[in-house]
Amino acid sequence: MKTLKKNYVLHLMLLPGVIVTLIYAYGPMAGLVMAFQQFEPLSGFFHSKFVGLDNFRYVFNLPDFKQVLWNTIIIAVFKMVLFLLVPLILALLLNEVTKRWFSRLIQSAVFLPFFLSWTVLGGVIIELFSLNGPVNGLLSSLHLKPIMFMLDNNWFRGIVIGSDVWKGMGYNMIVMLAAITGINATLYEAAEVDGAGRWKQMLHITLPGMAPILILLGVLSLGGILNAGFEQILIMYNPTVYEGGDIIDTFVYRLGMFSQQFGPAAAVGLFKSVISLVMVSVTYYAAYKYNNYRIF
Amino acid sequence: MKRIKPWKMILLATMALSLFTACSSQDENTTASSETPSKEEATSSTPPDPMGKYPDTVTVTEVLGYNPPEDPRTVQGITPEQNAYLKDLKDMMNIEVKYKWAVPSSQFEQKFSLAMASADLPDIMELDQKNYEKLKNQGMLADLTSAYNDYASPVLKKYMESDGGFAMKTFTSDGKLLAIPAFEDPFLSTQLLWIRKDWLDNLKLQPPKTIDELEKVAEAFVKNDPDQNGKNDTYGIALQKDIFFWGFDLRGLFNGFGAYPSIGDKQSAWIKDSSGKLVPGLIQPEVKTALGKLQQWYKDGVLNKEFALKDENKAVEDITAGKVGISFGEWWYPNWPLNLNVDKDPKAEWIAMQIPGLDGPGKSLVPKIRSNKVYAVNKNMKHPEAAIKMINFYIEMGNKKYMDKNKPEQGYVYNWFNPRIYNPADIETIYTEVNKALDANQTEITLDDENYKHVADVFKATKDYLAGDTKNASKGINWGQYFSRAAKDGGWGLTRQIKESQAFVNNEFYGLPTPTQVEKGPQLDKLMQESFTKIIMGAPLDEFDKFVSSWKSLGGDQITQEVNDWYSAQAVK
Repeated sequence: MKTLKKNYVLHLMLLPGVIVTLIYAYGPMAGLVMAFQQFEPLSGFFHSKFVGLDNFRYVFNLPDFKQVLWNTIIIAVFKMVLFLLVPLILALLLNEVTKRWFSRLIQSAVFLPFFLSWTVLGGVIIELFSLNGPVNGLLSSLHLKPIMFMLDNNWFRGIVIGSDVWKGMGYNMIVMLAAITGINATLYEAAEVDGAGRWKQMLHITLPGMAPILILLGVLSLGGILNAGFEQILIMYNPTVYEGGDIIDTFVYRLGMFSQQFGPAAAVGLFKSVISLVMVSVTYYAAYKYNNYRIF
Repeated sequence: MKRIKPWKMILLATMALSLFTACSSQDENTTASSETPSKEEATSSTPPDPMGKYPDTVTVTEVLGYNPPEDPRTVQGITPEQNAYLKDLKDMMNIEVKYKWAVPSSQFEQKFSLAMASADLPDIMELDQKNYEKLKNQGMLADLTSAYNDYASPVLKKYMESDGGFAMKTFTSDGKLLAIPAFEDPFLSTQLLWIRKDWLDNLKLQPPKTIDELEKVAEAFVKNDPDQNGKNDTYGIALQKDIFFWGFDLRGLFNGFGAYPSIGDKQSAWIKDSSGKLVPGLIQPEVKTALGKLQQWYKDGVLNKEFALKDENKAVEDITAGKVGISFGEWWYPNWPLNLNVDKDPKAEWIAMQIPGLDGPGKSLVPKIRSNKVYAVNKNMKHPEAAIKMINFYIEMGNKKYMDKNKPEQGYVYNWFNPRIYNPADIETIYTEVNKALDANQTEITLDDENYKHVADVFKATKDYLAGDTKNASKGINWGQYFSRAAKDGGWGLTRQIKESQAFVNNEFYGLPTPTQVEKGPQLDKLMQESFTKIIMGAPLDEFDKFVSSWKSLGGDQITQEVNDWYSAQAVK
């Protein structure tokens, strides 16, 4: 209580975030009850029939579910790893750039797609990779056969992962650059006196200095292990690539919106949340135990 | 420990808040369901007048999925709220329409599902049969029996009874009329083959009568530069991503193979087998044969390589731009989008043909009832009869006295107005009346009832087209009106011939969707869409057998059972 009094301004600053979270994240949780009901909108939560775990059984027995789960995990894991790796490399490279204007320019250019919605970018990417698009133009000028990227299960996932990483890498890069700036400059001076070059400095100072932020970003993204990018895939996919591109969210969307099977859709949503919760808890505990790292 | 305390508080607050939200949603629900509609208010002492004006403004909520106005002469930048029909409705009946939301048609299904999920429904609803079933089962729909009996105008009653009350009976449940069906002549669904005559002439080819001939023509359209522009930029047959859809799809082609998989959109078709039972057309061996042919055509470039990425707008773009010269479809194509192509390319000349079959012209699938949408009223609406009056109003606006102002250039956008019921014999009336007037060399339409506007509009366009007059509308628009509705060899003219020569097969199932269809339908549809697209794009043809067994086990067998139960109990054979 004492700290609360002393730091009440800080706590006040927390308030808007807490309220938003309560309204948009915790409030709708009441709706999870649908997962155990044969939900009828008109009857509402209070008068719909409870059916126990029937919805879960129904969903897990759907023939597509395993494939969908597998797709989700593959796409999500690739996205997570690349979302740490690509921005990290970019940040390290940019850090070595001494010309300020150049590094600023690159930062802005890399950050730009982050601000565009998938509605816009999805269309651009479909055009880009279409049969008569620039990518195939390039291929044909290299005397390679044209590829139907958006209609081919082998390519579709790669394009989904690649375009998402491309779109989002600017954001993580800025976070990582900030972390680099936060590293004590005297360490570099000391290393230089000891005869370490740029490479050794990066290896022994920059990377260890960034470890906490990397772990933090990793832990945070683990919570989204089953979020493979709903909006993006919904805009980019088509029946031919359901096999490789259909993820839990798009599956739930079709189940809930077009079949209006709200109960099963909610069951899948709950299933997803439980897995995410477990993943975050385990990694957070592990990070604390082995690296003595914690957020709070 | 000190660190944790604020968190405990947050947790507590959270729990308290989620309780609040739960409670408040309960309140909403109970008030909504306990509110009984007070019909007594509506029926005052005066006798019901189908066209009467309310003393106090009655506000009616609706939702709308809309396409851009069809007529290019429509006032630019007009919004659904500014539709001149609504202004007249207010003036004549004191009914004010408020849109809860209005979205482009392509988003309507999704948005309406959301509205259903949150039970946030408007007063008057345009429903497809599945949604009608769902809302009926949840008791959301108002009983329209007395509203219809008291307020339906004589003309509306005439329309509704023109099929012997067949459609109305379908939407009557426990003696209560729950929806007004917008049904039409089922032959409007007849599939035709639309083909560029000028391309055929350029390549010295005959119009195709069999599938083999169609194949030769289509291949020539791909390879022999039919538009003679010196570029390899054409393909054979128009197709968008949904294999069975409302346009630019493959229903007609499958019919040519004696396969009857679907009546369009997401509804499968049912035909009679030799034992008199109904079987799903979707899984018959003829479908496999047709898929095999499509697979070959895809490989040869007759179909666009990326059809699976094209929506209807993209398919229409190709037709307009003169990239494709063949499309399967119904009578209305000249009205849209072929007219766009005609306006763009003065040389373009489209003709209609009976669909090609295996040996000679094929038989098209025709449903027994064509009623894809119905109008229903929310049971919480205070004035359910207002919906009936609005239908009366729309029919009334077809009369001659409104002719001078009821024009697109004055802001009248007919396809934004709901609820809209047509004369089920609308197109037939137009065809006969216009041809009668043409044969008698009349300059004016003599007919004087609620059909006047539709007939007079087509008559005028026909006159203008035949005289080469483009003062009132472009050549394409005039031609479109004429060739879809009035020409003897045009859309409806040819359809009539097909009807007379009995070159059709009936879809035998016309009941409301069965419970399993409602529940499993979308999933089976996804399965079909995925398997068929893949087969066309080159997957082994035997995938079809796998599809059939999955289709059966995932609910198809159960649906077949339910459909046959309906057939033996209720169908008029």
